[in-house]
Amino acid sequence: MKRTAKTALAIAAVAGLTLGMSACSAPTEEASGPLTVWVMGDSGTNFETLVADSGIEVDVVAIPWDAIDEKLTTAVASGNGPDILQIGLSKLATFAEAGALLPLDSLIADHPDLAPDNFPAGVSGTSTAVNGEIVSIPWTSDTRVLFTRTDILAENGIDAPPATWDELRADAKILAARGEGQYGYYIPQWDAPLPIEMTWSMGGEVIDADGNVNFDTPEFQKAVDLYTGLYADGSVPTNSDFDQTQGFISGIAPMLVSGPYLANGVSSAAPELDGKWQASPLPAGDGGSISLFAGSNLGIWHNSDQVDQSLALLDYISQPEQQLAWYKLTGELPTVNAALSDATLNADPNVQVYTAQLATAKVLPIVANWDGVVGTGLLNALNSIVLTGADRTTALDAFFAETKGLSIK
Amino acid sequence: MRNRLVPYFFVTPAMLLLITFGILPIAVAAVISTTNMNISAFASWNNVDFVGLDNYAKLFADSDFWQALGNTGLFAVVGVPAIVILSLGTALLLNRSQSWFFRSLRAFYFLPAITAIVAISLVWSYLYNTQFGLLNYLFSLVGVPPVQWLSDPWLAKFSVALVAVWRGTGLNIIIFLAALQGVPKEYLEAASLDGAGEWRKTVSITVPLLRFAIFFVSVTTTIAWLQFFDEPFVLTDGGPLGATTSVSIFLYKEGFRLNQFGYASAGSIVLFVIIAAITLVQLRLRRADDEY
Amino acid sequence: MSTETMAGRDRSAAARATGLTLLIAVALGIGALITAFPFFWMLATSVKPQREAIDFPPTILPQQPTLEWYGQLFTELDFGRYLINTVIVVLIGFVGLLLMAMAGYAFAKFDFRGRRWMFFLVLATMMIPVQVTMIPTYLILNGMKLTNTLVGIALPTLVSGFSIFLFRQFMSTIPTEMLEAARLDGAGEFRTFWQIVLPMSGPILAVQVVLTFISGWNSFLWPLIIASDQKLYTLSVGLALLNQQLAVNPSLQMAAASVMVVPILVIFIIFQRYVMQGFALSGLK
Repeated sequence: MKRTAKTALAIAAVAGLTLGMSACSAPTEEASGPLTVWVMGDSGTNFETLVADSGIEVDVVAIPWDAIDEKLTTAVASGNGPDILQIGLSKLATFAEAGALLPLDSLIADHPDLAPDNFPAGVSGTSTAVNGEIVSIPWTSDTRVLFTRTDILAENGIDAPPATWDELRADAKILAARGEGQYGYYIPQWDAPLPIEMTWSMGGEVIDADGNVNFDTPEFQKAVDLYTGLYADGSVPTNSDFDQTQGFISGIAPMLVSGPYLANGVSSAAPELDGKWQASPLPAGDGGSISLFAGSNLGIWHNSDQVDQSLALLDYISQPEQQLAWYKLTGELPTVNAALSDATLNADPNVQVYTAQLATAKVLPIVANWDGVVGTGLLNALNSIVLTGADRTTALDAFFAETKGLSIK
Repeated sequence: MRNRLVPYFFVTPAMLLLITFGILPIAVAAVISTTNMNISAFASWNNVDFVGLDNYAKLFADSDFWQALGNTGLFAVVGVPAIVILSLGTALLLNRSQSWFFRSLRAFYFLPAITAIVAISLVWSYLYNTQFGLLNYLFSLVGVPPVQWLSDPWLAKFSVALVAVWRGTGLNIIIFLAALQGVPKEYLEAASLDGAGEWRKTVSITVPLLRFAIFFVSVTTTIAWLQFFDEPFVLTDGGPLGATTSVSIFLYKEGFRLNQFGYASAGSIVLFVIIAAITLVQLRLRRADDEY
Repeated sequence: MSTETMAGRDRSAAARATGLTLLIAVALGIGALITAFPFFWMLATSVKPQREAIDFPPTILPQQPTLEWYGQLFTELDFGRYLINTVIVVLIGFVGLLLMAMAGYAFAKFDFRGRRWMFFLVLATMMIPVQVTMIPTYLILNGMKLTNTLVGIALPTLVSGFSIFLFRQFMSTIPTEMLEAARLDGAGEFRTFWQIVLPMSGPILAVQVVLTFISGWNSFLWPLIIASDQKLYTLSVGLALLNQQLAVNPSLQMAAASVMVVPILVIFIIFQRYVMQGFALSGLK
């Protein structure tokens, strides 16, 4: 190799080493430095905007959604975490069990704004306690409602979104009859909460009186009837990579059960459809219209050395103005009751539907590895029935056996 | 005379790094595989119990593990020859001429190998999408109904393997091209004078002279495909219903999604043993020609 | 045989050869376009406005090209910083390159005790699935206090068995006489390595430069896990951040992906010449 190229390589190597070494000075955690906060997705800048006037210095780190498992596991393994972290409700039990979260019961005594009665019953206090301890404060909420392309429904003789599951099934059949490649509804093959929402609205539960996971109930069977029925009617697509947003925008799937994120996606990607679609309550069964309470809470890392500062920040974020400001920044709904009933928030008719739904929504049972064991098992069982024609009783029995013994502690 | 310590001086820095980041972790994993360690271990070490070979027994009784093994074997058996043959063929063709045209084509064939997997997943998920993807759109223009590239269990295996082959040929084409530069032109010219045709020359002279390169590519590609992870992970997440789950994906899900570290470690030891065994077999078969 | 017949035979043979070359050129050209098609798709989408990117039926060529996404990457999304971090990680990787060349040289040209099992260890590290080494490696780095540093990010993949293997194969073909001659002239071992072995390894070094660049540039896993500070994220992690749960801006993602590919392509084009010419001395025959 030419001399100059070799020299260049040597210089580059030395440069790399020196630069690397200088970047080596890891910031040491002092008890008075900025708070480190982990936030999901690319919402780093938004969070900085949110806390800009709090008087508390904050260092925000954005974590990609897909990588949350690795990030949290390695943090737990080493003990090096942030001060505050955002935790999706489905992961709450797992990380509490790993000892990653600081118990907050005694600490929030001094912070009345963080007390459970500030938040909807479905998510506050004991609803999201692990082992009887409160380990997180509700932050953002999310739920599932029905979205319909009112224009397409009207064209096919349906003047109002279906209010019950039976109506939905009938309407879906009509819409699917529009032609080849057209459907009435879409069941995401990754949506584990959906059959559970169906079960709830049939009046059932997935946890029995003793706190054990139990799907072997007549209401669950009714939900399975509905789920498999939609496939049998040919009303839903069978491919796993169906894109919800594009499906809705293009009209291929004019009815969807989804969350506010869909509404945001549709309005930003297809503003010309404004007025041609709307949100409405989740279809009801015999047990009413009961949807999922999803969202994220915020927790304090178990060995954070800035607990007081962290609580102060949590307090700040839980003020109704900040909760509403976050909604304006990101479209994620608040959890504080005062914010949820705010008039300007509810001026948007879609948001009115969401806040009304949240009043009766339920969280998924706070069980460790819920997604991985129950969620995956449920989806595998149902999908094997509707996609590969597996025997219903065998598949469901296998699922019941897998989930036996799980319980909320 | 030469200082006896010289070779150690040269070899130590790299070996230290390899041992620290390569060998040590696998030793740790071996130890963990004999326990029932899961995430609660980080709360308290008392939550970890020694279970001997239980994890291995559970592993071999787990139908999902066998499915993953089967998928991995299928991918390797189909993918490795595909890559070797395609890379060799393309390199032979590219070597036909040293004109600027041929030389600039090389960059095109190398593109898939240098694109980040994150970008590849975006592009191919889009191309393969059943309703809105480009491939099915092109098909629809000629009247072919939409194909469920990533949803049909068998087709999904093919689709995922295709992306991996597309991606894997790039580097190997370069290696073969480089090796081809070492084939003495005199041999080929002599054969031409004797009246040998193109095909005959290629098969009887060029290919045998590429023995080592073919061997090298086969071994490294096999090792890579037995650890097949990226493409099925980003395109189908191992689905549908485990149809494209390789052993690596199975381990990842157990270890990170379900936090069953003991179980996942046992699986990875099994994978390691399989890879080592297959590689040793390949090395033995080659013994005759080389000193190791 | 008369000269005329020979000339005639040569001419028609030459014509046939050219014809075949032409045919191959066309086939390869088509193959190249198909192989590179996803790449072109990526570039085309990166300049489409958001609505057009998710349009169905899809448009092949952008109707209203815009560079706004590229702008957004650097102004709003901090890609400038990610770029710098990635460059640093790559540079650190070149240190590893040197170490691997040294090791390959030792395996190739010296006979020392422990050589066999050390080399076996080298091969063994190629067979270890990365998923399982993740947590132990993280704990090791944590113990060395290298988490949240760029060195920590580069370290786990600094040295690879594959590259040492490749170096060793190639360097074993360097004539030992040349090394002996240098030693007789009084050159020290490292000097011999630096001034004789490395220059003669030009082509393999070129290959390794490209490979090191690629692996450092595309590094995703370690930067993600080891950086607790977003300021240390690399380009790949930045790209993953754009993948929200319901990705509705493919143009932005493609712009980010394009930014990642172009520099590698440039490096490849520069170095491929060395790769080709050098292997004439091939240890890869």
